Amino acid sequence: MTAATLLDERTPTRRRRALDALKGPVGSIGFMLVATIIVGLVWVGPAFLAPSNIQIVGVSVAVPLIVAIMASFALLAGVVDLSIGSMVGFGAVIFNQLVAAGMDPWIVAGITIVVGVVVGLTNALVIVKFGAEPLAVTLGMLTVLRGLSQVIVVNAPPSTLIDPLYNVTQGAVAGIPVLLLIGIGVTLVAAGIVSKTRVGRNVQAVGGDARAAARAGISVTRVRVVALVVSAVGAAIGGILYVGQLGSASNVLGTGLEFQIYAALMIGGYSITRGGVGNPIGGLLGLLVVAGITNILNIQFFDPDYLDLIVAVILLAAVLVDRFRGGDVFE
Amino acid sequence: MTTTLITSTEPSRPGRQGGARRPDARPNVALRDALSIAGVWLLLSVPTTIVRPDFLSTQTLLAITFTMSISGVLAVAQALVVISGGLLDLSLPVALVLSAWAAVAALTSGLPTWAAVILGILAGAAWGSLNGLIVVFGKLNPIIVTLATGFGGLAVMLIFFKSAQIPSTSDLRLFGLGRFLGLPNVFWPMVALIVLTGLALTYTRWGRHLVAVGGNPRAARARGISLRRTRFFVFLGAGAIAGAAGVLFSAVNPSFTPASGAGFQLIVIAAVILAGISLSGGKGNLLVLLLSVGFLATIPASIAFFGLAPAWALVFQGALLILAVGIDGYRLKRSAR
Repeated sequence: MTAATLLDERTPTRRRRALDALKGPVGSIGFMLVATIIVGLVWVGPAFLAPSNIQIVGVSVAVPLIVAIMASFALLAGVVDLSIGSMVGFGAVIFNQLVAAGMDPWIVAGITIVVGVVVGLTNALVIVKFGAEPLAVTLGMLTVLRGLSQVIVVNAPPSTLIDPLYNVTQGAVAGIPVLLLIGIGVTLVAAGIVSKTRVGRNVQAVGGDARAAARAGISVTRVRVVALVVSAVGAAIGGILYVGQLGSASNVLGTGLEFQIYAALMIGGYSITRGGVGNPIGGLLGLLVVAGITNILNIQFFDPDYLDLIVAVILLAAVLVDRFRGGDVFE
Repeated sequence: MTTTLITSTEPSRPGRQGGARRPDARPNVALRDALSIAGVWLLLSVPTTIVRPDFLSTQTLLAITFTMSISGVLAVAQALVVISGGLLDLSLPVALVLSAWAAVAALTSGLPTWAAVILGILAGAAWGSLNGLIVVFGKLNPIIVTLATGFGGLAVMLIFFKSAQIPSTSDLRLFGLGRFLGLPNVFWPMVALIVLTGLALTYTRWGRHLVAVGGNPRAARARGISLRRTRFFVFLGAGAIAGAAGVLFSAVNPSFTPASGAGFQLIVIAAVILAGISLSGGKGNLLVLLLSVGFLATIPASIAFFGLAPAWALVFQGALLILAVGIDGYRLKRSAR
């Protein structure tokens, strides 16, 4: 094996360079996106790229996009937050129930975001302060929040209609859904923060090598705490937006959303096993791949369970590709 | 980091040193863990008894031992994975339901009971070896591998069956309904499995290899233990034990759906970590595990007696898991200093 790699390095052929490009993050995202579009065009036909269908995909991707971009800061800082799916559901439930109880939507939105902050701080306390395994902690939080949602919503949840929120979630500017514009805006701002600011470089440094970052004078604790809070608040905002989209919030809303989001982020060049890699633009493209696959399956009237199966396979493949790019090796 | 060269070259898994450095401190640790679990168990039982004196009854004992049976068997499977340094197997609920389905399908098609039991366990072993192959050959983090296989496996089962019923007159079903020495029949295989596995871990070569790989993989490899083979067989074995849990599960549940196993995930992980079986691997006492399984099985019973909604059990179990991994992490951090 070592002899083979040595030989390859000595003769950087054109084929080898093409392979390297495909192995890099940009290459694999582009490859997945093109593959999804080709499958869509062959299977569904030209209607797959019709404006109306693109609009459907755009609306379905908008809320997960906002949640994913906020959660990607935690991945970048080297901590995984599995509780985002449950937090989306819990945020939606709180928002929906309190608005239905007659409270002012703006105040309730504030309360929901504060709940997100508290959840993020709790995760951060156990993970950062006590040094516990992030996957296990946030798995516990996932269960706590799902349990609380089920305690609060026992029967059919009330329906709510909030005009300003409805305008955001259902409106469109020049044919493009407002929600999608917001999602893309969040992505661009996040991309700017990650690649152009000192904050972004600090987050990447902490995720890449926490000890080196600490030696360079960056507070690892503060970066990770803020990243986990941003992740939970993003999920809380996602919950509020879902109430706007769906007009209600059941106690199973957001179940499994974390898998789709992390599979999409891994396709987009993020890594679950190590921090410091990935860019929000890649995350957006990764989500478009997952949304595209969902869309194809929906149009072909497939059981949604097939989507979960495909997401699982993609997740495994993405972790494997990440390991080839230098991700953690488990032995 | 005041440790040897060997361990300090592995910065990604700090705390590994804790177990490797002080193996002689283990019996005391187990006793301390056992006492602290007994303590919180009292903290839970005494207030419940004060509020509802009828909590202390045969009915409650039956309910708790019944709950313990299946989660206890699954906890052994999870404990083996954790002790061997394989982090966690998040796909055990899928292995459970897959095996339960295999056993029920065998019975429905007229196979004898022993064949159904063996088929169920084999189905679990097959599932476990799938995980093992991906972990060993992909060299991937088991938590993420089993997260994905668990998610995908549930989807596949949902595509193939919506619910399954065990034939109500089959021997397996009658076994699931029966009692022995005043406790449910299914309770005893669980106790036997915990005791036997605990003894095997300490007294067999196989068991010592497993603990060695979990405690310090480099040292184990230097001693000639194959990491790949150990990891593969740990996942296979965990799958087979989850298969046994699935067979018991099919015996006590008249009907189940592919998602029926999901409820065990948290309680099993929490039981393992509460029992002092650290996620960093290499240590653990299965008798303490029996205690922590019992404690966690008491929570739903206690919640029912307090008159709270069953969903509160999820909240408490999740919170306990957070607390347990927090304490585990804190101990490792302190011992790594």
